[in-house]
Amino acid sequence: MKKTNSFSCYLQNNKRRYKLLALKLTLVSFLLFTLQVSASVNSQAKLFDLTLQNVSVKEVFKTIETQSEFQFFYNDELSDVNRLVSVDLKNQKVEEILTQLFDKTRVTYKVLDNNLIVITPTGLMAQNQKVSGTITDGISGEPLPGVNVSLEGTTLGTITDVSGKYTLDVPSTSAVLLFSFVGYNTERVEIAGRTVVDFNLIPDIKNLKEVVVIGYGTSTKATVTGSISTLEGNELQSVPTINVTNSLAGKLPGLVVVNRSGEPGYDGATLQIRGSNTLGDNSPLVVVDGISNRSLSGINSVDIESITILKDASAAIYGAQAANGVILVTTKRGKEGTPKISFSLNQGWSTPTVLPKMADAATYAQMVNEVNLYRNRPAKYSPDEIQKYKDGSDPWGYPNTDWFSETYKTLSKQNNLSFTLSGGTEKLKYFFSAGYKYQDGNYKKSATNYSQADFRSNIDGKISKNIKLNIDLSGRQENRNYPTRSANTIFGSAMKSYPTMPAYWPNGLPGPDIERGENPVVMATSDTGYDKDIRYIMESNIKLDVTIPWVKGLSVTGNASLDKSLQNQKLWETPWTLYSWDRQTYDENNIPVLVAGLRGLPEPRLRQSMADGHRTTLNGLLNYERSFDAVHNFKFLAGVERIKGSSMNFWASRRYYMSTVSQELFAGGDLEKDNNGSSGTSARLNYFGRVNYNYKQKYMAEFVWRYDGSYIFPADSRFGFFPGVSLGWRASEEDFWKENLSAINYFKVRGSWGQTGNDRIEPYQYLSSYGFGHSYIFNQNVENKSLDELRIPNENVTWEVANQTNIGFDALLLNDKLSFSFDYFYNLRTNILWWRNASVPATTGLELPRENIGEVLNKGFEFDLGYSNKTGDFSYNVSVNGAFQKNEIKFWDETPGVPEYQQSTGRPMNANLFYQAIGIFKDQAAVDAYPHWDNARPGDIIFEDVNKDELIDARDQVRSEKTDMPTFTGGLNINLSYKNFYTTILFQGAMGAVQFHYSNSGLFGNYIQEDADGRWTPDNINASKPRAWNFTEEYWMTGYNANNTYWLRSSDYLRLKNLEIGYNVPSTFNSKLGIKALKVYFSGTNLLTFDNLENYDPEMNNFEGYPPLKVFNLGFSLTF
Amino acid sequence: MVSCNQDFLDQKPTDELSELDVFQDPTLIESYINGVYGSVRHPFVGSNGVMKGEFVDEAHDMWYGFLEFNNSLQTSDDLQGWRYEDWASNYRSIRKCNVFFEKVDQGKFNDVLIDGKTLKDRLTGEAHFLRAFLYTQLVNLYGGVPIIKTTYGLTDDFKIARNTYSDCIKFIVEECDLAAGLLPLDNTGGNYGRATKGAALALKSQVLIYAASELHNNNPKFSGFANPALLGYTSGTAQERWTAAKNATKAVMDLNLYSLYKPEPATGAEATQNFIDLFIADRTTEDIYVKFFIPKEGGTSFWDDNYGNNLALVSGPNGFHLWGQNAPSGNAVDAYEMTDGSKFSWANPAQAALPYENRDPRFYSSVFYEGVKWRPRPPDVAIMDPVGVIQVGTWETWDNATNSMVEVPGLDTRNSPIEGFNGGYMGYYLRKFIDPSVDGQFSGMKVPWRYFRYTEILLNYAEACIELGQDAEARTYINMIRKRAAMPVITESGAALRDRYRQERRIELYMEDKRFYDVRRWVLGPETYIDLTAVDVRYKLNPDNTTATVPTITPKVHQTRKWDDKSYFFPIMRDEMNKNDMLVQNPGY
Repeated sequence: MKKTNSFSCYLQNNKRRYKLLALKLTLVSFLLFTLQVSASVNSQAKLFDLTLQNVSVKEVFKTIETQSEFQFFYNDELSDVNRLVSVDLKNQKVEEILTQLFDKTRVTYKVLDNNLIVITPTGLMAQNQKVSGTITDGISGEPLPGVNVSLEGTTLGTITDVSGKYTLDVPSTSAVLLFSFVGYNTERVEIAGRTVVDFNLIPDIKNLKEVVVIGYGTSTKATVTGSISTLEGNELQSVPTINVTNSLAGKLPGLVVVNRSGEPGYDGATLQIRGSNTLGDNSPLVVVDGISNRSLSGINSVDIESITILKDASAAIYGAQAANGVILVTTKRGKEGTPKISFSLNQGWSTPTVLPKMADAATYAQMVNEVNLYRNRPAKYSPDEIQKYKDGSDPWGYPNTDWFSETYKTLSKQNNLSFTLSGGTEKLKYFFSAGYKYQDGNYKKSATNYSQADFRSNIDGKISKNIKLNIDLSGRQENRNYPTRSANTIFGSAMKSYPTMPAYWPNGLPGPDIERGENPVVMATSDTGYDKDIRYIMESNIKLDVTIPWVKGLSVTGNASLDKSLQNQKLWETPWTLYSWDRQTYDENNIPVLVAGLRGLPEPRLRQSMADGHRTTLNGLLNYERSFDAVHNFKFLAGVERIKGSSMNFWASRRYYMSTVSQELFAGGDLEKDNNGSSGTSARLNYFGRVNYNYKQKYMAEFVWRYDGSYIFPADSRFGFFPGVSLGWRASEEDFWKENLSAINYFKVRGSWGQTGNDRIEPYQYLSSYGFGHSYIFNQNVENKSLDELRIPNENVTWEVANQTNIGFDALLLNDKLSFSFDYFYNLRTNILWWRNASVPATTGLELPRENIGEVLNKGFEFDLGYSNKTGDFSYNVSVNGAFQKNEIKFWDETPGVPEYQQSTGRPMNANLFYQAIGIFKDQAAVDAYPHWDNARPGDIIFEDVNKDELIDARDQVRSEKTDMPTFTGGLNINLSYKNFYTTILFQGAMGAVQFHYSNSGLFGNYIQEDADGRWTPDNINASKPRAWNFTEEYWMTGYNANNTYWLRSSDYLRLKNLEIGYNVPSTFNSKLGIKALKVYFSGTNLLTFDNLENYDPEMNNFEGYPPLKVFNLGFSLTF
Repeated sequence: MVSCNQDFLDQKPTDELSELDVFQDPTLIESYINGVYGSVRHPFVGSNGVMKGEFVDEAHDMWYGFLEFNNSLQTSDDLQGWRYEDWASNYRSIRKCNVFFEKVDQGKFNDVLIDGKTLKDRLTGEAHFLRAFLYTQLVNLYGGVPIIKTTYGLTDDFKIARNTYSDCIKFIVEECDLAAGLLPLDNTGGNYGRATKGAALALKSQVLIYAASELHNNNPKFSGFANPALLGYTSGTAQERWTAAKNATKAVMDLNLYSLYKPEPATGAEATQNFIDLFIADRTTEDIYVKFFIPKEGGTSFWDDNYGNNLALVSGPNGFHLWGQNAPSGNAVDAYEMTDGSKFSWANPAQAALPYENRDPRFYSSVFYEGVKWRPRPPDVAIMDPVGVIQVGTWETWDNATNSMVEVPGLDTRNSPIEGFNGGYMGYYLRKFIDPSVDGQFSGMKVPWRYFRYTEILLNYAEACIELGQDAEARTYINMIRKRAAMPVITESGAALRDRYRQERRIELYMEDKRFYDVRRWVLGPETYIDLTAVDVRYKLNPDNTTATVPTITPKVHQTRKWDDKSYFFPIMRDEMNKNDMLVQNPGY
């Protein structure tokens, strides 16, 4: 306690800083909310000291560029930039400098967003012909203001206006126009006699000046030293997925994205940065607009400006929650200009990527007979009956049902509408969006669907010269509708249901169940009641940014954020009706008589629940940014942040509804009514900072730190210090490089080391706690509370520590056409919080707490290789990225005496034990000839006698080297554009993971066709597949878990994850309708998959549940 | 606002209670003891509906079958489906008791007497009883086990050796005696169902009866085992142990609190009904220690200890949309005597032709067989059987259209149109414990489970008397039980009496979780784990193409079983052996 106090009061001890902090806090305290930081750097307010003698204007620009985020854009020949000047200025803003610099010249300047300054001549020579047009973004189709338009070989030029329009007088229409713009490839276009020349500019992916969002601030691509990957928001929009997490696959090297399920509302991908690093929770920290632990899933993709992932110690500024990496999401903000209104509509059709192909009725009947034969039981089906199943001659008595095609729909609709409005003036900028999404379930008469309505409003106000205020507000409503039976139950029941049973009788009434009313065609509908889940999420942030006028380069920022979530769930269950036939009773017309049966539950019941979550984040930041002697560039950041959360929930239920007319609690019976509720709180307090230095943008050094306190740990070990250091060297700036290696025009080496923490465990492991368990009944029918010891306390519990080392380089070659980045990382996670239950004997009876005992090494590399070029109207860029990572348990609680081949230590986390399947016993002689399980018979799977003790037992299990997470993931991105057409193609793949294949087959359920084909039978003894089996009766078939390698399947895959083909309608057509841009496109996701799995999607988790979806989409976007 | 005050980080869990709070408050201490009651593994709830009778020759389950277990194939890696009390779960519960003993003195108890005892005494007595109960379950399976009376902390040395069998019995008996001294004679009101003095003494009776049995007395089967003291007594005499067992049993009888339920039926039919009621009633005069249930939830959450007694669902016939588990074996059914006290035999043509006539009245209360009327079928099945008669047979009928024989399977067979996969293989379903007023597919039952009932005490007493040569005394009590069942008295002596006693115990305590241990302590493994039989029930086609109205019932072997003497004791799991190298493994593993 002492130690932490003295540190945390450091800020108070420094009087000057304390004053500044106090000022900021006073301002913020009016705002009721909390404090937080955002990611924009206030360059326009930056003050410069310039003392330069007899240098060219160009040199002045360069000096400003080195000291700031500004970048100048000009044409050498036309903008008179080689003129020599002298400047001696102190404490001046860039606009003041430029005004002086161009006073009385024929040149003017414009400071645009993104710190771009465009220099253009004002006085143009007399011209004789006019050329005009609109310049648009080749991907989004939106008009680009500020594009430099010039005539090749002359000093003639102009820039586009806010609508992307330009007009230029040219001496001859046979000349050539040059279009150039920061962040885009410069293009050369022949006028060829036209008077209207429109053009789509293709973004330049290697823009070094591009601002990169980092923790609590920004940097530029050229100077950043950490291992960081970024993605522009517009790249997300070509993927027609409802949940934005599924748009990230294959785009960011090092981000492992696995889409386990396509169920509407629960289709968020599992995201991991650099794979798995800990035995515990591996999910990265998501920070949205500076606020930690917001959800990425629900964000409307049109709102996203950029996504950055921090993969190495650069995340240390997020301290205790940063060990699994950080995903930073930045939403769009308004830009100066006339209001821009965009509208887009996507209409999609989805279908499961793959559904299991089950055996038909005749095959199933045959296999059941085989099972009975092997158990010396009489055959269940006669050859005559099997024939009837085969020929379909008697649909009442001998149906042949494909349950998946009866249950699942071919195509289900989804749509996505969005509207944005943005613009503003210097004083007030705004970005507003509204969106609506709807996704239907993939069942016939589906009760499942998801819909979402959202809005976002980001307002930037400039209150005075030195004070800016941002007010961000966003909200959404998520509606999830489901039947009362889960997707897993429906899927499982479609697998299980006998093909010899009808889904519907020939007269259209639903057929019988296997048990519990589980007929999937009915369970997928609202005939069983409904499960309605409505969530409201409201996120707000107020940020105040004050430039301190009397201390050069100093600014303070305060943030106050309140995030709120509400959930209302209503589960209304009713009995449903299925129809059965006794196979004997017919009516007078000789039609079978069906009997209705009430199934599922005896009477309607309702369970209603509410949950409420609340989080406030308050932070204050101190920013100081100065350059000295034009070469030494310093940035300093210090901050403090306090986060407090609370949650509460309750539910109530009633049974015995007399009628289904009123589906409310009050109408339920009084017998067995029940309710429950709980709550929780959380609190964090952190101090953090960053020091950044570069010398001429050539040598770069950065130090980040966080002193993080969390309620999860006891007072003594509650605070942790997490440092991160990184260094960079732009070798290509050295003279020797320029002279000898000029083909590589950009080369930067980066290295980092740091420690980050992970606290994602159940809180309060240090307390000796008791909780209420099941009630126990005394006096015949009276429930009595019972209390259980939840765990024994671990008073020393503290952080997991990630020791992260990263080394990498970035290079640009062939005049920026080719780019290459490479990173190698070595992550050693220590103090992993795990249970010591492998070595603590059961006699102790202990419910163990987590202890800091594990150690895991995760190492690997990532690369990103890109090439872009243009020939004529055809431009393209191709990039390949890949990441390989493999983890290994270095130490954990291993049971003593376990043989080496079963130990977890030295193997990847979560690798399981399996018997080694080495074939099929072809006959009794083969069984007798090899050690086997008791009761093994021909057709069974042979388990290897691994320890050669002539006995098959648990010691013959071997720990696998593979898990359900891939070790290699990669993407191939191809962007092509020809005139107004463009296409985006993404192939994505993963390798190194395994899943297991199983089914509850036998007398209790159907077989997968793949297991039926080529199985062992007495007539096919050389089979490579085992005989027909019954449920879990066989030693090699445990039902819910694979116990042997026969059932493991490699889930390596390559898939066409995304394809978009679009057309930007020319402005000649649009402009008559007042439209600035119109784009129409087709897009799709998961369109093609190459893998070795016949029945399941490779991204699913052990082939259970709702398969991921394939989506075909048509859309258009309009901008006014 | 952003202050240096780090007290802000001192959050407290709002959904948990601190140890300090719990052990100061007597009502919370009582709740804590309730948790120990709840943690005692239960015979069928939480076990996928499978009762222990399936692990001996009493019943069979078509899902699991437990072929491996019943062929003595369990190993230290795999208990082959065993799902009841075991090493780890019992030691977890034992720790709960030990925590109680260490903390109970912090409690702010008052001196108010309820049922003659203070709350502190009563709870302390209950904790001793529960700890004794848990150790008894362990000793029954493993022989001598480590006796742990204190709680471990994280940094303690966890290794510990097994205590001898006799130390364990001595410890359990001391616990029972302590409990008996602290517990009230009877609990009233809301406390009804908590352990009483009678429960503690009944437990002691069972422990001493088991300990006096052949398995634990210098059993030559394990003569090669280096640590015989782990499995049984190596000194003293059986005589003195049977005497102790007899005295302990007599102590329960001398409480004069319990009596046989409806001991004097007028007819066999009345005896049958009484014996049905005995296991369905909320309370009877026999109850010494029971576990209650309430049908809080039905339909979907069957495996949770809290959701009532689901035996109606899991054991009922499939033709009622029930699951058909715990099906009585042919072996068990054949053991029911004829009403005249003679043995039933398939070799007797008259008996084989009408095997369900004139049997022990308890047969009719315990087993569903072909043709017996039960409750109405669910509506969708009722059209096929409006009455609700058990159909485990197959009807051979003549189809004039095709001029061939057609087999029509009964509704409760495996070929039934109603959930045939849930049909049993035995030709029987379990009736004992099943309340006919409950539709098991939708509701649980409130039928209690009787851990100890007075009949067992009388049987224990008779057993001790027989082993002590007091045959007349033994016959008196056995015949009390037979009279209650409307069965004729027995008159045998010596070994023949022992056989009649064991037969009586098998029938009376059928599926009450006793036989699994009885056949072990009597060292009857090889005689018990023999072929498991079922019946084939067929309404044959008559020569005139009509169908017989009386079924032909034929016994058949369903499952072949084997016994290995290692199965008298359970293995300690390999993992546990690895974690604690002071443990000695049981013989044969």
